[in-house]
Amino acid sequence: MERRDFIKISALSGVMATLEGCRNAEKQFIRFVPEEELVPGIATIKPSVCTVCSAGCGLLVRVMQGEAEVVRRGQQGLIKMGLAKKLEGNPQHPVNQGKLCARGQASLQMLYHPDRITHPTKRTGARGSGEFQTINWDDALKEVAAHLGTLQASGSAHSLAFLSRPLSGQRVELISKFLKVYGAPPPIWYQPFDEAVLRQANLLSFGHAALPTFDLARADYAICFGADFLGTWNSPVAQSIGYGEMRQGRPGRRAKLVQIEARMSQTGANADEWIACRPGMEGVLALGIAHVILAEKLAPQAAAARTGSLIAGWQEGLPGYTPEAVEKQTGVSAAVIKRLAHELTQSGSAVAMIGGPPLAHTNGLFNALAVNALESLVDKNSVLSFTPQVGDVAPVQASLAALHGLSAQPPQMLFLYEANPLFSAPPALHVREALAKIPYIVSFGSFIDETSAQADLILPDHAALESWMDSVAESGSSRAVVSLAPPAVLPLHDTRPMPDVLLGLGRQVGGEVAKALPWATYDAMLRAALVPLRTRPGSIDVKTDDDFWDAAQTQGGWWSSPSISPPVPAVKRAPLSAVSPQFAGAAADFPFYFLPYVSQSFGDGSLAHLPWLQELPDVLTSAMWSSWVEINPKTGDRLGIKQGDLVEIASEQGSVRAAAVLSPGIAPDMVAMPVGQGHENFTRFASGRGANPLSILAPLTEQETGSLAWAATRVKLARTGGPEQARLVLFAGGMSGFPHEEQPR
Amino acid sequence: MRMLRGWRRGLLVLLVCAWTWGVVEIVLPRPATRAAGSAEYVTTGVFTPAHPNAFAAVKDFVDLHPEHPVQPIAYTHTVHLAKGLPCTFCHVGVDQGPEARIPGVTVCMSCHQSIATDRPEIKKIAAYQARGEDIPWVRVYNYSESAHVRFNHAPHIRAGVDCAACHSDLTKQTTAERKIDLNMGFCINCHTQKKVSIDCETCHY
Amino acid sequence: MAHKWGMVVDLDRCTGCEACVVACHAENNIPTAGEDQAARGRAKHWIRVERYWEGDFPNPRVRFQPVLCQQCDEAPCEPVCPTYASYHTPEGLNSQVYNRCIGTRFCANACPYNVRFFNFYNPEWDKPLQLQLNPDVSVRSVGIMEKCTFCVQRIKAAEIQAEAEKRELKDGEFTTACAQSCPSKALIFGDLNDSTSEVARLSSSNRGTKLLGELGTKPNVTYLERGTWDNASHG
Repeated sequence: MERRDFIKISALSGVMATLEGCRNAEKQFIRFVPEEELVPGIATIKPSVCTVCSAGCGLLVRVMQGEAEVVRRGQQGLIKMGLAKKLEGNPQHPVNQGKLCARGQASLQMLYHPDRITHPTKRTGARGSGEFQTINWDDALKEVAAHLGTLQASGSAHSLAFLSRPLSGQRVELISKFLKVYGAPPPIWYQPFDEAVLRQANLLSFGHAALPTFDLARADYAICFGADFLGTWNSPVAQSIGYGEMRQGRPGRRAKLVQIEARMSQTGANADEWIACRPGMEGVLALGIAHVILAEKLAPQAAAARTGSLIAGWQEGLPGYTPEAVEKQTGVSAAVIKRLAHELTQSGSAVAMIGGPPLAHTNGLFNALAVNALESLVDKNSVLSFTPQVGDVAPVQASLAALHGLSAQPPQMLFLYEANPLFSAPPALHVREALAKIPYIVSFGSFIDETSAQADLILPDHAALESWMDSVAESGSSRAVVSLAPPAVLPLHDTRPMPDVLLGLGRQVGGEVAKALPWATYDAMLRAALVPLRTRPGSIDVKTDDDFWDAAQTQGGWWSSPSISPPVPAVKRAPLSAVSPQFAGAAADFPFYFLPYVSQSFGDGSLAHLPWLQELPDVLTSAMWSSWVEINPKTGDRLGIKQGDLVEIASEQGSVRAAAVLSPGIAPDMVAMPVGQGHENFTRFASGRGANPLSILAPLTEQETGSLAWAATRVKLARTGGPEQARLVLFAGGMSGFPHEEQPR
Repeated sequence: MRMLRGWRRGLLVLLVCAWTWGVVEIVLPRPATRAAGSAEYVTTGVFTPAHPNAFAAVKDFVDLHPEHPVQPIAYTHTVHLAKGLPCTFCHVGVDQGPEARIPGVTVCMSCHQSIATDRPEIKKIAAYQARGEDIPWVRVYNYSESAHVRFNHAPHIRAGVDCAACHSDLTKQTTAERKIDLNMGFCINCHTQKKVSIDCETCHY
Repeated sequence: MAHKWGMVVDLDRCTGCEACVVACHAENNIPTAGEDQAARGRAKHWIRVERYWEGDFPNPRVRFQPVLCQQCDEAPCEPVCPTYASYHTPEGLNSQVYNRCIGTRFCANACPYNVRFFNFYNPEWDKPLQLQLNPDVSVRSVGIMEKCTFCVQRIKAAEIQAEAEKRELKDGEFTTACAQSCPSKALIFGDLNDSTSEVARLSSSNRGTKLLGELGTKPNVTYLERGTWDNASHG
């Protein structure tokens, strides 16, 4: 063969290659008849409720027609359906008043997440192997009902457990009632950063076992002990709205914010004055300030009679808390303590707040009671109040105590709903071993995570935007707030709403359970629960239950008129003396306090699977897709650690490695890490990424409530590698951070 | 190669390059999916605005689209318009928002469950509905995503622009045909005549 | 009078929560870069919150500053674009015409605020995340520069609606995605030519300043300085 042939062949191949491009699509999807009437290009706005934190903000969902790939009757195809495009705050909702935080905005990605579980699945391989196969709903539900029946019949109804992240609204009622009538123990509400300490303190101090509501728009001075109230704590959106007003919403009147913490949080960054206090000594500091106020009679003592009586020595003027004594214990100078006392009492209206790390010590309750006492002394204008409740308030329960029960006596059957203790509970609690002993685990969650990967059967719930949503606000408003919304979009996958599945299982179990839960669907149960609110004065004024139900769905809920809670009688209790915080790890071997903090991006880690949040630059370090350890620059110098180096933190429980970030906002004897990364198994975006600081926590607890003292672990620190190994991705100044370039940062 | 001299060698190199390019760019599939709504629908695990292959990109660039695509049902505008059906009966939304809805099988059957039920094309429509399927109409008027143009019907309808001005006289068409080339010049001419904004951002954002 | 769109950023209200950043991503079809591309500096945050540290422990100070396209009257990105893809609209916006852009990146080079982002590759969304994409906003393909548009799609929609109803636009009738989400109301958007608008009122505040104003870019975003605790008057 020579050139002619070669050229002929080449030309022919070229032509054939070109013609190849003309071929039609390999697959023509069928198009299903739409299940709803929508006009393309025109948005409808539907209410919903945000579930990402406990605040329960009201949402408006922008729904527009689009085409989605779905499976119907076992066939793959396309369907025109309403798609959720954007979330906004509901302007009518009293808690968030039309605003929405970063995590709320990002929660939209949970609906269309690529790793959502799309059908019921059954485990085929060993537990944790990840081998599941699709099963149809009828067979799945038959199997679960059979297990429930067998358990009841063999007199082991008490051996059923329900482990869930904390929920609000009628889901709590439904799950609780199911278990109670079935004969099982109450549900285990688990989250790593629970607020049992503060709720207990508020019950003792103010008569309300609830998170506090702060109307910052009324404040002229706010002194905050550790609470990241603008970032992640309590009701961040409501608090941020108040903060904005407190700063620039009242011409001629600008409030001062003093933040007291050992590591600068996002809230601390906004403070006019930032004061570093020794970890666990915040209560002593508060009492030092109170001592000055009492001694110099800067405020009427009577206002704090109830709360003060909980602290030993209050009636005598807190003799053990002189500024000089407090300076020795807290590291805050006596002059500052005196000045704060004067500023607090001279301002128009002041408020003292506590939350976050100060409560996460073994003496957390003492710290809370101390700050509550100071708050009563200085708050003349009811900046602090408690959101009126509808229905019963749940008793205070520390997550960890409940989890202990699971470990101590593993049940025979476990229902799991979006709780992830294998990721967030200290390994010393042996949750993994406990789960291994449970013969049958059913998970309702929408995603595989470390804990749900241990399930034998997965009955995936609808996404929140596909569900009937309801919640009751625990804090964030002076009105009672019951949020309600029908589904904003039709279901995308072959999922079913968890409440409907439970109601169905109740019918299958029969007997008393079926009687106690007579509703066919969850919205029927919601209607029955909510229409009695019609006769209470509030945001909906109509004559019939039907009108009320319609109006509530349209508005996004029902809320009462504003009210200030009346004072409650004092509780009889021995006054508490100062308690020093205990730490795990001897200071000689473990020289640093360790602070795992709730991340603005990931919360407690349950949002790490959302790509918008992984890419969101951390507000204080600008880090994305990364884990890091915050270290004081002087500490870095001393230990030879440079920005971006790989470091190892080790506690008595274990060690983790992450990139070092040198930060002036942390005490030289403390290191901090954001919580949220370090998932072994949590979708493609979070798996195998970064390190989990919760995995090295000691199982120390707050001495009275049993809540996890997550700020009580001590660690040691060492450099183990350079920036190439640490892989820290920064947005700020990181434009030249291409990892293969040998450029010093 | 050493047998070839001068221009022949150059030509051979050129042909080999063209052949390689053809294999790599055209034959080998890209992990790309055209936005749903177009006639060709390839599905992979990702969505991207990229064209599925180089040939599709070339077609799009030179605006090579079929003027009269074949539709699954031999619909006739002629007949329906002659019966006095307004455009908005089927093409809902054209006066409210950017898009004119292409009717689904439910709209057709709202009349044809009782009208002309013995005709073969009507039977086809009924069969689609019976199977729970929607009619897979082929889009005739569309701008590709890479044109980055956001056309909005509503202001045009409200301004009194007749459907036929851009979609030509449909009383003479069975299934829709692109008789008018809706290129940018066409839009600008009318905008200039009617003294409406020709600022780029009016349509391109 | 023609509209002139502007914004006020109140640094005393801004808490650094970054709700604006995520809201913008959701509204404007901004692709997520992923770890590798983000490490190469290609994350696209049309609005970002900058943080500036001063001082050492125990007296560190941090200041937050949201930065977005300033829609400059004398925008340095406009004269350098060879194809007029970056140009000034009659309503005061610096507009990016995606189909004119040929990807020279001179504009990003010229911009002193570093608010322009280039699509180095065709963006991809793992299905079905693309179902969330906003149909009112273009999905930019490879080789195109993008930046904050002051949510021009919302501006257009509001103007068309007002025209249909034969009335003027009201201040506060619509706003950008970032300003809508901001819990502390640190971002205020509106018509600077409307003397009764919130943004016009706040732009003339004595706390007002322009970012890199000394460069002569004449930005249409006014930053209100953070306050100090001496109850200094403001407004």
